[in-house]
Amino acid sequence: MQEYIIRRILYTLMTLFAVATILFILFRMVPGDPTAQVISPALDEAAQVRLKKAFGLDQPLYVQYFLYLKNTATLDWGRSFSSARPVFDILIYRFWNTIFLMGAGMCFTLVVGIGMGMVMAWRRNSPLDLGSTLASLVLQSAPPFVTGILFLMILSYRLDLFPTGGMLTPGIRLPPGLALLFNKDFLHHLILPTITVAFYYLATPMLIMRDSMLEVLGSDFIELAKAKGLAPHVVMIKHAARNALLPVLTVSSVLVGFAIGGQVIVEQVFSWPGMGQLMVEAASSHDYPVAQASFFLLAVLTILLNLVSDISYCYLDPRIKIGKEPSA
Amino acid sequence: MKRDMDRREFLKVTGTALGASMLAGPGFAFAQPQPGAKVDSMKLMTATAAMDPVRPEVARTCAQAFQAIGWDIEAYPVDYNQNVQKVIMEHDYDMWFVMLSGAPIRIDPDVFIFQCHHSSEYKAGGFNWQGISDPEIDKLAIAQRAEMNAEKRREIVFKAQEKISDAQAMNAIAYMQMTNAYRSDRIKNLTPMLGDGIGSFWADLSMEVIQGDGYVRTARPSEVKNWNPVAIKDHLEFMEVRMIYDSLFRIDPDGKAIPWMAKSFNIPDPKTIDIAIREGMLWHDGKPVTIEDVKFSFDYHTKWKAPFFLSMLQLVEAVEITGKDSVRIRLKDPFAPFLTNLLGGMFIIPKHIWQDIPEKVGLDDPLKYPNDKPIGSGPFKLDYWDQGREYKATAFKQHFSPPKCAGIIGILYSSHDATAAAIEKGECDRTRYILKPSLLLDLQKVKNVVAKGYPNHGFYTLCYHVRRPPLTDPAFRRALAHTIPRGLIIEAILSGLADEGGSVIAPANKFWHNPAVKPFPTDVNKAKKILAEAGYTWDKQNKLHYPKKA
Repeated sequence: MQEYIIRRILYTLMTLFAVATILFILFRMVPGDPTAQVISPALDEAAQVRLKKAFGLDQPLYVQYFLYLKNTATLDWGRSFSSARPVFDILIYRFWNTIFLMGAGMCFTLVVGIGMGMVMAWRRNSPLDLGSTLASLVLQSAPPFVTGILFLMILSYRLDLFPTGGMLTPGIRLPPGLALLFNKDFLHHLILPTITVAFYYLATPMLIMRDSMLEVLGSDFIELAKAKGLAPHVVMIKHAARNALLPVLTVSSVLVGFAIGGQVIVEQVFSWPGMGQLMVEAASSHDYPVAQASFFLLAVLTILLNLVSDISYCYLDPRIKIGKEPSA
Repeated sequence: MKRDMDRREFLKVTGTALGASMLAGPGFAFAQPQPGAKVDSMKLMTATAAMDPVRPEVARTCAQAFQAIGWDIEAYPVDYNQNVQKVIMEHDYDMWFVMLSGAPIRIDPDVFIFQCHHSSEYKAGGFNWQGISDPEIDKLAIAQRAEMNAEKRREIVFKAQEKISDAQAMNAIAYMQMTNAYRSDRIKNLTPMLGDGIGSFWADLSMEVIQGDGYVRTARPSEVKNWNPVAIKDHLEFMEVRMIYDSLFRIDPDGKAIPWMAKSFNIPDPKTIDIAIREGMLWHDGKPVTIEDVKFSFDYHTKWKAPFFLSMLQLVEAVEITGKDSVRIRLKDPFAPFLTNLLGGMFIIPKHIWQDIPEKVGLDDPLKYPNDKPIGSGPFKLDYWDQGREYKATAFKQHFSPPKCAGIIGILYSSHDATAAAIEKGECDRTRYILKPSLLLDLQKVKNVVAKGYPNHGFYTLCYHVRRPPLTDPAFRRALAHTIPRGLIIEAILSGLADEGGSVIAPANKFWHNPAVKPFPTDVNKAKKILAEAGYTWDKQNKLHYPKKA
């Protein structure tokens, strides 16, 4: 077991190294000289040379690469080309904003998805089951920039229930961190993007939960529980749902990975000052230090979640045993 | 003697042009076409709709229009970065459709006359990417720089506009208006400025809040990058930093340099400027502004080669303190745009703070200093800045020209649509920069919103790489000018929020614009006549051929 965990961690580190290298190469393959964008062409040549030197862009590529690896390993990502602020400071503010939005969205998705999936399986073929299946598939086929804009048009512009975007009302400022979660204004701004995220990803946990529940419901021990005269909700929740949860858990770690990538669009629609927006800005303006660090951070997050779900699986499912030969 | 000077100057100019074009590579390596051969098709590069929906549309419209004279053109929208790289850095392109926006430092005619048309500016990063090299234009471009008398300079600038219009290295298709919007139920008395609209510095000062907490919520199209007055790289950065920091002069709403921190000034000879500064000015930390700070600012910007001002700072011979409140600036050569473009732009910074930067903050270069808690002497002081979300700047009441509002909250919106929605709902009071014309028309229908176009001296322009045949031929370029459907472009693509383009100095720039330079009327028959007179012919498929005799 221990050996397995160590091996998985080593693999993870190797993956991260590969991701870091790919990012470095990818950003340098983007058409257009970085210096042409970071450094305004309106400046004369002497001024451009001057800026290149200040940001180390005059160094050969391999020197830039090793410097970048060293910086990534020590979490010191240097300074942004465009704002000159330390990349770490920029990222930490955006990171929390993204985590709040993502966290809220994923909690909503999982709680509603699992709950609905459970009830749908219990009342198989009822109008509720069919209606929910249809609705969830429609929502999953509508990309978040469509649902997001629809929500904005109806709930914000027409009915005036929610603000048009942003994280707080202009002029209100709160220190980043958990305090935000207890602020009414913040929560008011959080609702629309949260349901936009949730609606898009809802179908996956819901339908998987439903299938997995149906499988469990056909088992003998459910018959036995019913025969024992247990109340239906006890059978549904305590006996069936708990056993049906495992596949949902597997899929949810993958889902969170997708959702973090998809975040970019939701943040753009709602002017949410998170990592997604930062990535768009940094990538389009060739701000290498910021772009590389933010993409890398997302990769770390996704890979870590996978690692955690892999390892937790061994503990949650007693049938999985690693490193032992099956005894005859 | 005079003749001799001219000849020498001419040789110098052609010499640098030749040198530059050899360095530039692909631009010069084009073979002359065979007499009578079919005119090859070309590509018209521009940015993608994601960056500006207008550009690919106009490029396609032009490409279609050029078919009327038997010439095939392909509109080629690609990422703007690639535009910059191919056109400005490598000179590897045929035609380019671009917007030359109207920043205040472009009100002085030097940018559009000298930088865009002098042969020495055909170099990597230079603004004469068309590669025009016309000795007469060169001579006028240099002469207008050196003439310190505004009236005399204007005569030269007028002549240059005529020559430039004749040469047609670029065709100014349309002067677009500054499409701005604001909430008339929340704010009033916004002073627009040429090329800045109601996002101008003068609007920052003059606007009054009718209802609310006194702060004006202003929508920004892109993130504030930093607050470092020495590290400024473009106009959108400049627009914010200029609230916090002051300069010796400011460019007034009509484009003239007026004394600002300077109380008075005197130009005893074309290479010397004496300036006395106002008394009683304060930094935001309460310390007084001294003449030491002024000298220090020049020295500091020069020492660290501040990118935005570098080319002009190289013209400064010395800055000497001549009294308690006065300095003398000596130039190496007379330079007419000096008052507007350097003294009207370069910020005065506090010596007591910047003398320690970068060394005492652990850096090796002040360009790496974000200066996120700036101390300036301008009419606003910065309260806070949440990068990627908003900043809040409060009126500095001790300023000699304090703002009428309590302050400004600058908010980042991720799209034009989001900005328009926020204005419509009243979450935001004013736009800082241009708004998509179609959205402006929508906003015009909203109650309590004023949405309109303000005068601008910037323009959309079609640039020709004049070192590639057939674009080498001025007659050919003049024929193109008669082919471009300006009226259609303005009505259909720019929603009528633009005016037909003629001179590179727009009519809105009243003092410098030459009214004798008019737009080329759209007239395909006239274009064909010009081509026929120049010897061009058409084959049976109506395709254009080069003249038979070279």
